[in-house]
Amino acid sequence: MMSWLKSASFGGEDVFDENADELHLQSKEWTSNMKKRIKDGYVDGVSAGEEASLQVGFNQGFREGAAQTVAVGRLKGIVSAVWCWCQIQHPEKPVPAGVIDLLQLVTQHEEGIIDGIRKALENPPPSVSDVSESMEDLEVKQPGLGCGGTGCEDTDCCRSEQKMDLESSHHQHNLSSEPSGFPSRSHEGLDLLVRRCMDLVSELGLPQELIHHIEELRNS
Amino acid sequence: MADGRQEADELFDRILLADERFRGEGYQEGFERGTARGLQNGRRHGASHGAKLSSEISFYHGFAVTWRSLLEGNADDRSRKRLKALEALLNLIQRSPLEDPQSVKLQEDMEKLRAKFRQVCSMLNVSTDFKEYIKTAEGTSF
Repeated sequence: MMSWLKSASFGGEDVFDENADELHLQSKEWTSNMKKRIKDGYVDGVSAGEEASLQVGFNQGFREGAAQTVAVGRLKGIVSAVWCWCQIQHPEKPVPAGVIDLLQLVTQHEEGIIDGIRKALENPPPSVSDVSESMEDLEVKQPGLGCGGTGCEDTDCCRSEQKMDLESSHHQHNLSSEPSGFPSRSHEGLDLLVRRCMDLVSELGLPQELIHHIEELRNS
Repeated sequence: MADGRQEADELFDRILLADERFRGEGYQEGFERGTARGLQNGRRHGASHGAKLSSEISFYHGFAVTWRSLLEGNADDRSRKRLKALEALLNLIQRSPLEDPQSVKLQEDMEKLRAKFRQVCSMLNVSTDFKEYIKTAEGTSF
């Protein structure tokens, strides 16, 4: 009786400390388990989301990319045909320097557009491993402590991080921020080449109808 | 005893629910992130392929339209045959399936288009080294 009283009054603190340690351990284990659940779900979600949207993105990009090379591609076809025409009509003379120069400039202009698109490809957004690291920011809350689920602050926090991520890659890649447009300099460049082509075609005395076709490429 | 059992069941359910809930929360976040990434990556690859393919088709268009203008008005047999081939090429271009990159006919149509272009070049006596200006584009889908 005395010994029990003694342990209760003097050893009580020790007993509680032990319990507290165990509770703490269990809580840590719980947190790490739930962190793992979130991580597993996250990784599966990333693959599923990517798989679901890849083709959609491809189709969208395909049309955007296609729109960027229509005018310059046509101009290249026109100048190439003129080049052939000059060679066939006057096999004894070299093709006029103006035609050769223009064909080179148009080809370079087109390469510039395609290179711009390729450069955007070479700087892809962060890979899956980077994302896994950002998982650490996903805070796991104890159950029953008032985390309301999807609407909680942590979720918003993750969303804004994701947004920033997207924005930074938007800055890197013109393609994303200007979905269907050329940079304006490229636009001016093409208009200049179209103008030169029209001048050249009338210098060479080629049909008026052809000049109309070339004119259609301006601001297109 | 029955109370204890019920409590244990409830606790077990809560653990399972929490498990599912956390996994689901992670999945939701991941799905959003993955969707954004898939769209971006797909878009980049698509843009590259679309630009190349469109460049090739547009080249054929400009080439054909120019030759048609140059040959129009010539009534001789050879010019009429050439003009007919050019019209056929332009028709193929008009039906080119750039609007739908997933079209199963895309590859087939492109082959027809290239074959027709080669035919036109040969009818026009255009030298082969000139054709090297064209880089062919391949691959339109994942």
